[in-house]
Amino acid sequence: MKELAGKLAALDPDAGAALRVIAYFDRLVEGRASLEALVRGAAVLSGCPARLVDEERGVRVRVTADGVRTDRRDGAGPVDPAWMAAPLAPGGAPALWLERPGPPGGVHAMVLERASAAAREVLDRTRGRAPAGERGADPASVEVLLDRSAPEPARRRAARLLGLRTTGTARAVAPAGAALLVEAVPVPGGRAAAAEGPRAGIGPAVPVLDLPESAVAARTALRFTAEGTDRDPGPRTVYADELGGLAPLAETVGPGTEPIPDVRALERAVASAPWAARTLHSFAFAMSLRTAAAELTLHHSTLQGRLTQAERWLGWPVHDPRGRLRLQLALTLWRLHRTHGL
Amino acid sequence: MNAVPSADVSGASGTSRVGEPADVEDQPVGPPPPFDSELAAGLEVIVKQLPTAFRLEDLPALREGAGVSRPSDEDLRQDGAFDIEERTVPGPAGEADISLLICRPAEVSADTPLPALYNIHGGGMILGDNRTGLETMLYRARELRLVVVSVEYRLAPEHPHPAPVEDAYAGLVWTAGHAAELGIDPDRIVVAGGSAGGGLAAAVALLARDRGGPALAGQMLLCPMLDDRNDTPSSRQMAGLGVWDRAANHMGWTALLGERRGGPDVSPYAAPARATDLSGLPPAFIDVGSAETFRDEDVAYAVRLWQAGGQAELHVWPGGFHGFEGLVPQAAISQDARNAQGLWLRRLLGV
Repeated sequence: MKELAGKLAALDPDAGAALRVIAYFDRLVEGRASLEALVRGAAVLSGCPARLVDEERGVRVRVTADGVRTDRRDGAGPVDPAWMAAPLAPGGAPALWLERPGPPGGVHAMVLERASAAAREVLDRTRGRAPAGERGADPASVEVLLDRSAPEPARRRAARLLGLRTTGTARAVAPAGAALLVEAVPVPGGRAAAAEGPRAGIGPAVPVLDLPESAVAARTALRFTAEGTDRDPGPRTVYADELGGLAPLAETVGPGTEPIPDVRALERAVASAPWAARTLHSFAFAMSLRTAAAELTLHHSTLQGRLTQAERWLGWPVHDPRGRLRLQLALTLWRLHRTHGL
Repeated sequence: MNAVPSADVSGASGTSRVGEPADVEDQPVGPPPPFDSELAAGLEVIVKQLPTAFRLEDLPALREGAGVSRPSDEDLRQDGAFDIEERTVPGPAGEADISLLICRPAEVSADTPLPALYNIHGGGMILGDNRTGLETMLYRARELRLVVVSVEYRLAPEHPHPAPVEDAYAGLVWTAGHAAELGIDPDRIVVAGGSAGGGLAAAVALLARDRGGPALAGQMLLCPMLDDRNDTPSSRQMAGLGVWDRAANHMGWTALLGERRGGPDVSPYAAPARATDLSGLPPAFIDVGSAETFRDEDVAYAVRLWQAGGQAELHVWPGGFHGFEGLVPQAAISQDARNAQGLWLRRLLGV
C-alpha cells in the first residue's frame, strides 16, 4: 500500500518537523544503526549532502540527499567553512557537516544537533570514547591486528577500531600477566601505556601493519624487566629498542636452559644476604660507587665493605670494567632464567 | 506487539485450506521480526501520513488522500528522457476501452525495438492509477533503456474480479500485438508490478499461459499480493504493524472478491496463490520484506515455481516492511533491493 503514503523526504519546517527529527534519530540509535545510517538520515531529512569526519577515530562518511554514499568512490572533497557544522562533543572541532550554508535554527539545525548527538553515542559505543580511554585494549581487535595471516582489510579495520590510523606508526606493549596492547606513536597525550600498572616490555614504533614485529620485540623486552624491589631489582619498563646487544641473549637463554657458572654464583650471593641483589644491581648499573651509595642510602665505605663480601661469593672482582660487565651480564641472564609473569 | 488477529478480521477464522487443519489460526507464531533500523526510523517519519485504518467506507477519502502521489507528464518525461503518450485501446471483450500510458526512451529511434516493462500499478486493488509509483519504474527503464507501458485498470469494489485482471490482460495483448508500432521487441516483454500490481502481474502471466497469449520474457513481482486467504503466519505475525497489515489486506481482498474471499471457489486469476499448476510460466523475480504480511505467501509462490520446474529469483529483505523500497528509497537496504531488481532485468533481457 505504498501508494498511500508520501515517501521519506526532506522535512518542511512545520510544527511537527522537530518531533519527527527527534523520533527519527531516536529510532536509529535504538536500532543500533551504523554511522552511515546516521549521516544518511541527516542528508535525507535536510535535503542536502552530509558528512561526518573524525580523523582521530578514522571515520569519514559522506552521503548525498538521495542516500548514496560517495566517500568510498570519490572521496569527500574539501569542507566549505560556510556549511552548517556541529562538533561531536561540546566545544569540540566540527565533525558533522550539512553541505549548505545556514541559516541557523529551523529543521537543519535540529537535524545537525540530533544527528551529531546520535553519532557521538554510536562512536562511543563502537570505537571507544575520545580521547584514548581504553583504546588499544580490545583483545579481539589486537589479536586480528597482530595476526600476519589475517586478511589485510580485517587488520586495517581492527586498527581503526583500536583508534589507530592505518597510515601512522604505533607500537605494541606487553604487560606482565596481561594481554598485549597497542598504542599510536607518538602516544596521544604523551602518556605511555606502561607508566603505571604491571611490568611491561615496549616494542619499537613501526608502521601499523608491521605491529606483529613490534609485539615480538615487546614480549622480549618484558623478559628483561624486574619488579624493582630489593629481592628483584631492575627496571619495571624496558624498551625493546634500547636493549642493543642484549636482545639476542633472550633467544638463547630462558627458564629451560642451564645457567652459566656466573649466574650460579650470583644466585649463591643473593641467597647469602638479603641486601645482595639490590646492592649488586645498583653498583653494576650506577655511574660510580658514590652514586650507587647515594641510591642505596649507604655510606660509601659501607657499600665498599658489602662489595668486598660479594666478590668472595661471586668469585671475580667487580670494580674493574671487565668485572662490572661480567656482573651486568650475570644480573641480566639471571632475569632471563626466571619464568614469573611472562 | 503480539500476533493476535485484530477484531476486524475475526471473520477470517472460519476459513481453512483444503487438506489443512481448521485450526490454522491457532498455530503459534513468534514475535514480529524487527524492522531494519533505518526503515524503522523512516517509518517513524512517514507514519503520520499513513491511514490508521482501512475501511471500505473510508475509500473515497483514501482516494483523495494528500499522500497519493500522481506524477505529472513533466515528472514522467524526466527532463526529456522519455516521450509520453496516452493510448486508448480496446478493453476485454464486451467491456469499455482502457487507457495505456506509453513511455519510450526519447534518445532511441522508434525503429529500434526495445525490451518493455508492462507495468501494473499497486494500490490494494482499490486505489491508484497508471501513474502511481511509475517514477521509480521509469528511473530503472531510463538506466536500462526500456519502454514502459502502464495500464489503467478498473478498481474494486466498484469493479470486482475479474475486471482489474481482465483490463490488465487486455492491455498486454494489445501491447504485444502492436509491438512493432510501439518500437517494442515482442520477445522481451516483462510484466511488472508491486503489491496488488504484483499479484495482477502474476495473474496476467497465468492468463497468458492458459489462453495462449503473449509469450512473456519474465514476471517481476515486487512484494506481490497473491493470497486472498490472508491467514499465513506472517499475516498474523505482523497484524497491526508496519504498512498494509492483515486488516487492510482483508479489506482489499473483500473489495475484489466480496463474499467469495477466502472461500473454496476463488479463481487463480484473482489470487495466483490459488493456482494448482505453476508450470510453464516465465522466469520470475520476487522480492518481499521479512517483516510484512505478504512474506510467507510470496516465499511460498517462489518455492512452488521451483517445484513446478520454473525459474525464480527470490529476495527476502530482512526487516523490510511492505513497500519499504518505495517508501524509504534512501535506506541502504532499499538501495540494495533496487539494485537486485535492476541486475535481474539486465541478466534476463541482456541489456
